[in-house]
Amino acid sequence: MNQKIRILAEQILVAMGIFIAFLLLFESKLMLPLWLQSAGRLHPLLLHFPIVLLVVALLMSFFENQFDAAGRLVVQQLSRTIYLTGVFLAGVTVVFGIFLSQEGGYAAEPLQGHKWTGSGLYFAGIGTYFLIYIRPISQTFARVASVFVVVGLIVTGHLGATLTHGEGYVLAPFQTKTLTTTVALEDAIVFEHVIQPILEQKCISCHNEDKQKGELLLVSQEALLKGGKSGKLFVAGNPEISLLLQRIHLPMNEKKHMPPTGKVQLTEEEKTLLALWIQAKANFKLKITDLPATDSLRLVASRLLSPATLPEERYAFEPADAQTLARLQTDYRTIAPLAVGSPAVAVNVYNQAQFSRKTLEELLEIQEQVVSLTLAKMPVTDADLDLIASFKNLRKLNLNFTEIAGTTLPKLSALPSLHTLTLTGTKVTFGQLAKNLPQLKSLKQVSVWDTDLTPQEQTKLQKLFPGISFALGFQEESAAPLQLNPPQVQNQTLVFNQKLPVKLMHPIRDVEIRYTTDGSEPDSLTSPVFKSLIITENTKLVARAFKKGWYGSSSVSFDFLKNSFQPDSLRLLYPLNRVHLAEGAHTFFDGKLGAIGANNPAWANFWAGARAQDMGVEARFDNPVTISSFGLHYMIEEDTGIFPPEWVEVWGGNDPEHVKLLMKLKPPMPAKGDSPTLKIAQGSCVPVSVKYLKIVARPLTAIPAWHRSKGNKALLLVDELFLN
Amino acid sequence: MEKEILEHGFSFNRRRFLSTMSLGLGSVALGSLLMPDLFKNTGDDDPLSAGIPHFAPKAKRVIYLFQNGAPSQQELFDYKPKLREMVGQEIPPSVRGTQRLTGMTANQESFPLVGSFVDFKQYGQAGAWISDLLPYTSKIVDDLCIVRSMYTEAINHDPALTFLQTGSQQGNRPSMGSWLSYGLGNENKNLPNFTVLLSRGVGNGQGVYSKLWSNGFLDSVHQGVQFSKGEDPVLYLRDPEGMNRHERRDMLDQLAELNDLSYKEFGDPEIAAKVKQYEMAYRMQTAVPEVMDLSKESDAIIKLYGPDCLVPGTFAANCLLARKLSENGVRFVQLYHQGWDQHGNLPFEITKQAMDVDQASAALVTDLKQRGLLDETLVIWGGEFGRTSYTQGKLTPENYGRDHHPRCFTIWMAGGGIKPGMVYGETDELGYNIAKNPVHVHDFQATVLHQLGLNHEKLTFKHLGRRYRLTDISGKVVRDIIS
Repeated sequence: MNQKIRILAEQILVAMGIFIAFLLLFESKLMLPLWLQSAGRLHPLLLHFPIVLLVVALLMSFFENQFDAAGRLVVQQLSRTIYLTGVFLAGVTVVFGIFLSQEGGYAAEPLQGHKWTGSGLYFAGIGTYFLIYIRPISQTFARVASVFVVVGLIVTGHLGATLTHGEGYVLAPFQTKTLTTTVALEDAIVFEHVIQPILEQKCISCHNEDKQKGELLLVSQEALLKGGKSGKLFVAGNPEISLLLQRIHLPMNEKKHMPPTGKVQLTEEEKTLLALWIQAKANFKLKITDLPATDSLRLVASRLLSPATLPEERYAFEPADAQTLARLQTDYRTIAPLAVGSPAVAVNVYNQAQFSRKTLEELLEIQEQVVSLTLAKMPVTDADLDLIASFKNLRKLNLNFTEIAGTTLPKLSALPSLHTLTLTGTKVTFGQLAKNLPQLKSLKQVSVWDTDLTPQEQTKLQKLFPGISFALGFQEESAAPLQLNPPQVQNQTLVFNQKLPVKLMHPIRDVEIRYTTDGSEPDSLTSPVFKSLIITENTKLVARAFKKGWYGSSSVSFDFLKNSFQPDSLRLLYPLNRVHLAEGAHTFFDGKLGAIGANNPAWANFWAGARAQDMGVEARFDNPVTISSFGLHYMIEEDTGIFPPEWVEVWGGNDPEHVKLLMKLKPPMPAKGDSPTLKIAQGSCVPVSVKYLKIVARPLTAIPAWHRSKGNKALLLVDELFLN
Repeated sequence: MEKEILEHGFSFNRRRFLSTMSLGLGSVALGSLLMPDLFKNTGDDDPLSAGIPHFAPKAKRVIYLFQNGAPSQQELFDYKPKLREMVGQEIPPSVRGTQRLTGMTANQESFPLVGSFVDFKQYGQAGAWISDLLPYTSKIVDDLCIVRSMYTEAINHDPALTFLQTGSQQGNRPSMGSWLSYGLGNENKNLPNFTVLLSRGVGNGQGVYSKLWSNGFLDSVHQGVQFSKGEDPVLYLRDPEGMNRHERRDMLDQLAELNDLSYKEFGDPEIAAKVKQYEMAYRMQTAVPEVMDLSKESDAIIKLYGPDCLVPGTFAANCLLARKLSENGVRFVQLYHQGWDQHGNLPFEITKQAMDVDQASAALVTDLKQRGLLDETLVIWGGEFGRTSYTQGKLTPENYGRDHHPRCFTIWMAGGGIKPGMVYGETDELGYNIAKNPVHVHDFQATVLHQLGLNHEKLTFKHLGRRYRLTDISGKVVRDIIS
């Protein structure tokens, strides 16, 4: 290296030393411009150069004796240049490191260590450079100094790595993983186990003894109560005016938002917890289980601490023999390993008729391995609990809707790991539970819905056992009344021949159906109660359902329609619309009524339609029938252009050649905006005996002027004809 | 399938055996040194040895309340007051971006924003916004995890539905229920592992087809079985007139002998599957009527689910049945409720649709909880995609519609180890793009499988030379919503 440059570099070295000393002295007064922050962030990149260069230079000085004199000189020159560059870059690294440390967010202890060893190393570097290359003392000294610098490098580097990767990063793979200490829910203290960890994770890096930003310390209870520069941290019981919550809820771009931009933010859950804790008077001693079961703080906090965050459970027992498992499998008893490679099995039993005590006895072969047993709806009695108690590793026991009454519940105390017990729909009593549950030490969940327990007893249970969560379920009594759904008609068809026994039903037990036949609205007092009803004429039945504890249903109406004569043969006179063929001529006498709404299958299948041509059908009877009235059932949906027929003609006689017009009907037309309906065009005549009928209906030839399709032909849809 | 038959042939081939002996054994031995798992049966080619979770599961069963047609998130779960403020204004192009439009709105001249006609309120610990259309759901929000940031790739019903259910838009792949049946095996051997229940509301409906519950290339024992309303919930299950149970047993035994003969001859695994299905059908003859019987349900249950739960074919009745099936060990109960496709007349139709499903959906969660079953049952509620923030068709003060929108939609999950009382993900102020924590369909599927103890990358089946997964080649478990 050029002599001049070297001397310049050596001077810079000393100057930088002074600069660093200055930085270290006035660190707390430092205000960095933004671009220097970026420079600071180059620290982790830069630091690799001095490490490599210094180690290489020192190694070279170690091995310089291996060369002859000329070679030694070259090596010495080279190592000196490298060492100088190394120390120079070490200085730059230290300066950048100090800049970076201003950003904050690093653990205080290793940061201090790293800072002092790092800058110390720089000064040691200058010193050793001087004593090795400029005023060499002895080779031994040079070597000792070299070792000293290398050790310093290792220590500094390690402390730096701890800053970025955390404590014990290097050795972590060798250490057996210790779980974060989890605390049992009943022992958990809200502050210590919920609030403090939040502060530690998200706040303490800037508010600790070493780095009291805003003069705020969050390390102890006293410090928390003291607050910081801007005043007290919170007002116990009043989260709305608490400074802490104001700061964490400020918008991100606000300068005072905490944690500051660039730091890991608080989650919604954590914010809620902080607010709820302050709401609960910021009590430092409060236990989670001291809170009422439905308290928000308790719910959110216990969710955070719930064992669900625990890793997969390990079982201490050996797996059962695969052949044994296969042998015990039946169609009604499923035995399944919890997971591939897990020794634990879950057993589910089905089919009451197949169940006996033997079903359980056979399982004793694998009594160690069963961790979950589902016996819901099986005729299991209290006497069977002694058997169940021998599955000593049982975690979950489902006894829903069994014949358990709870007298032998103490037997289950032989199950040290049982955490979930479901007793829904059993005959267990409050007394039994209150007396026996304390003996089941690990219990976490019990369901007692649909038992004889009163709501008061259930609340009492929850109070008695704060560590257990009780599934109480839906309370019929406390629910608001609901409206019943309307009655249904069960007759296959509403079209009948001579008389029809009406079948009305309601799916809900003990519902009273009341009805009218005059078209009026039935009420719960005066209208007749439906028991049986036989109709012989066209009838409009309106019905409603009533039951105590429910609101009455809306009313529903059914049109029962009489058709006395079924033609022996039928033929269409003109083709139907291609898309409204239904069952052809048979459509009109098949008893199947169409419905409104194109989504309904009854729309597509039961309506015969015509538009361009008349709709016509001829009916023949083997024996003469006496006709006195006629009806045609059709749909109106003016919006989509479905209109009544313009006219309907009924011709009758004994054969096609000798017919006369029996009647001509002109149904009324709908008005604009009428909602879709089903109607009957009906007419009567002097009774006449016929063997042949010809019925012709003309679709409306010109839709009225008020309609958007005015002047066009309307669609005619007919599903049924009635002859009486 | 072809492969198994082929291999069956190989196993009888002397020449192959000898050639394996000489050179083959050595190379296989070497191979096993390099790949320790080579001789271990990984289970992915053999449906009979599959059926054990990969790790201890949180959930054992799934009930999927599929809202077919895509319910509008803006009217149900995703509260966007900004849309009301900006009603009638054009959606900013920066928001719409290059989103592809459906054929129904592609020719629309303008895309005016429209806010929800219905009000929202906050409920539960998480302060979740729920619309007034869902009064019952709002009462159970503390049991729900509402995911507002689902997104999909398809823009039309059938591909989107097929994508959610099978992981592929094209179909011919196994449905989610089939994968679970394959991965977990039967809990109750007397009922099908995967059942399907259909219902429809008054809203504009979209079809559901049996391909959605197809077993694809998996063994046909994993096919979904549709339970229909009416006297015969499972078609052709009843013995024909004049045949008693004893005769049926005899017939099945004889048939099994014959089938066994042809299995020995051809080695087609479908023959074995068929025999198993006959046997299951025989047991189902007694198990199904027991499960389908609603007459013993208490008044409290009827009030919980609402009176419609006793009217066969309604969503409420299907929810009640779903609970009964699930309680009896059916792994996957798939409901479809049709009628959520509100391109127009949205306010009227969505009100009706919500009335159909609200009470019963909430009831199902409550009912499972009170039986101590919610922990082990995962309930999912949602459609195949979302709906647009702008109106389709004419915007009037009373009426509007919304088109298909794949970029964001809302679903909820409950139980099965999913975090309760949580709202996950966010959409932008106009509810058009996801602002935070997007969840792709494959992520959702991976999460569901994970809750059932299955690693979605390991639950594979080799078919036509490659291994297939429900999540195709992507998807990651959404750990944030797992408790």
